[in-house]
Amino acid sequence: MSGARRGSRLAIPAVAGLGALAAATAAIALLALAAGAEPGAALLDLLRGSVLTRGALGETLARATPLLFCALGAVVALRAGFLNVGLEGQFLAGAAAAAAVGPVAGLPPLAAAFAATIAAAAAGALWVLPASWLAERRRVPEVLSTILLNLLAGSLVTWLVRGPLRDPSGDYPQTTPLPDAVLLSPLVSGWRVTVALPAALVLVATLTLLLYRTRAGLVLRAAGESPRALRAAGWPDAAVRVAAAAASGALAGLAGGLEVLGSTGRLYDPFSGGIGYLGIAAALLGATNPLGAATASLALAALGAGAGALQRNSGVPASLAQVVPAVAVLVLLSLLAFGRRAERPA
Amino acid sequence: MSGPIEAALLLSAPLLLAACGELVLERAGSLQVGLEGTMLLGAFAAFAVGLRTASPEAALLAGAAAGLGSGLLFAVFAVALRADPILVGTAWTLLGAGGSAFGYRLLAGATGGSTQLLPLPAVAFGLPLAGLGAFVLPVVLFAFFRFTRAGLVLSACGERPEAVRALGLSVVAIRSTASAFAGAVGGAAGALLVLNVTRTFVEGVTAGRGFLALAVVVFARWKPLSLVPAALLVGGASALQYQLQAAGRSPLPYAFFLALPPLLALAAVALSSSRGGAPAALGKPAP
Repeated sequence: MSGARRGSRLAIPAVAGLGALAAATAAIALLALAAGAEPGAALLDLLRGSVLTRGALGETLARATPLLFCALGAVVALRAGFLNVGLEGQFLAGAAAAAAVGPVAGLPPLAAAFAATIAAAAAGALWVLPASWLAERRRVPEVLSTILLNLLAGSLVTWLVRGPLRDPSGDYPQTTPLPDAVLLSPLVSGWRVTVALPAALVLVATLTLLLYRTRAGLVLRAAGESPRALRAAGWPDAAVRVAAAAASGALAGLAGGLEVLGSTGRLYDPFSGGIGYLGIAAALLGATNPLGAATASLALAALGAGAGALQRNSGVPASLAQVVPAVAVLVLLSLLAFGRRAERPA
Repeated sequence: MSGPIEAALLLSAPLLLAACGELVLERAGSLQVGLEGTMLLGAFAAFAVGLRTASPEAALLAGAAAGLGSGLLFAVFAVALRADPILVGTAWTLLGAGGSAFGYRLLAGATGGSTQLLPLPAVAFGLPLAGLGAFVLPVVLFAFFRFTRAGLVLSACGERPEAVRALGLSVVAIRSTASAFAGAVGGAAGALLVLNVTRTFVEGVTAGRGFLALAVVVFARWKPLSLVPAALLVGGASALQYQLQAAGRSPLPYAFFLALPPLLALAAVALSSSRGGAPAALGKPAP
């Protein structure tokens, strides 16, 4: 293998990443212009609303936490070759489970918080299993089934907040707030940052080791990259995919549960504005590895926090924080695909 | 919406229209799982033009035009540049939801006042001409695939793209054309929805119909004529929700009717998927 060839292997992702960053910046500027704001001022607003003040930084970290769990869920699934587009639904299932289990009478607060966290992870994993079964047994593409399960999870939340879990004292369809003792307490006063953030960072390190330094990780990646080789080596590739899908769902479920326990304290409808899809974007922008996904989650969370400030100060709608990641993903995927083709001998 | 049958037809029409476009794109070998995003962009364009011109026909055209643009842009990324169409489609869901919400916020801030749209006039069965068109289109597509050379070549792009290339034809050009068509009818479906069903735009107004349309295509096993019963099943289930909401009293919770269409769609694809019918080169990059 020549040095130039090896160099280009690294160069293509680097160029693609820079291209995605440039496209994201251009998209921000164009959207600001479309909303009648000055692009330079808008960028400054974004920074101010995301990292430049103490409060803004806290908001960014609070938003990054559930996104990071979802992005890790996307990484695990994508690496195993399971296209889990259902993180959104698994997030909702986890949030619903935490809201339902959290107030269970008779448990001491710490045990209730623990039970709610476990229930959230379990609910997320359960919510993906029909898709796994359909994919392995009925050949239904998981892209389709997980998307449909998202819609079902949405109606589950609608039912819970209007029906069995509805707060009888409130006017809005939302659940009774969890008792304060059950909620995770902020690590830093004034920030909505709880133990969930360090837990997510520990997970990033654990998953990195697991994926790249253990046999289990090798098997998981092989299930995605060459399932036939895996099967030929005597591994049940279907079982590996199912396990990875369940782990992915559990991570998204945890994201939802910890959001209820650490941030909102209750479930309402709609509870998510597309965090599952954003998690997939973060995973892709982070080169589908845990550390990259963590970096991208922080960046997208900063964008979300900054966009809130931008909407308040300059009237640029906050949905900029959905459009910009989408544009970045599209440019990244295209540049990577283009690079792969250019590299291949014709 | 008057009777239950009219309601079922009216709610099935956008679903059927969007599914027709998706079927053509998938038969050509690509797929747009972000059809929900396309529909939202079409719905928003129709809303914006409908408010400004008070002409539902112009609004419908605007929806189709926005969808056409969306389909062409999708083809640039997922067909010409050969990025994974499923991942591109996932980003499209974000793009359409975010883009339409962005535009809506700007517009709502600018106009104020009524945001009620004038509907397209009904011509038969409570359906406007575009709604009837949705029920005619599968027949047209059936004839297109069955009797025309263009239809044959398009299907070949989804079954054996190398053979099409060997004929000296461009798979990229054919799939891009299919994507433009899918986008245009998907956008028109979004327009039809806001003009005649919801009568206004809200964020996420399509409420998952783009995703349901994907399931309709699988349930119909990529056969144009089978789209009609498949769309009627799923659309009829959503009509139940509107009917019972209008009636005011129902023994079942409202959320049950929200869950019914995706549940039916899930059951339907579970029953039909293993029976095959998918184009052999579906989702594979052009040679």
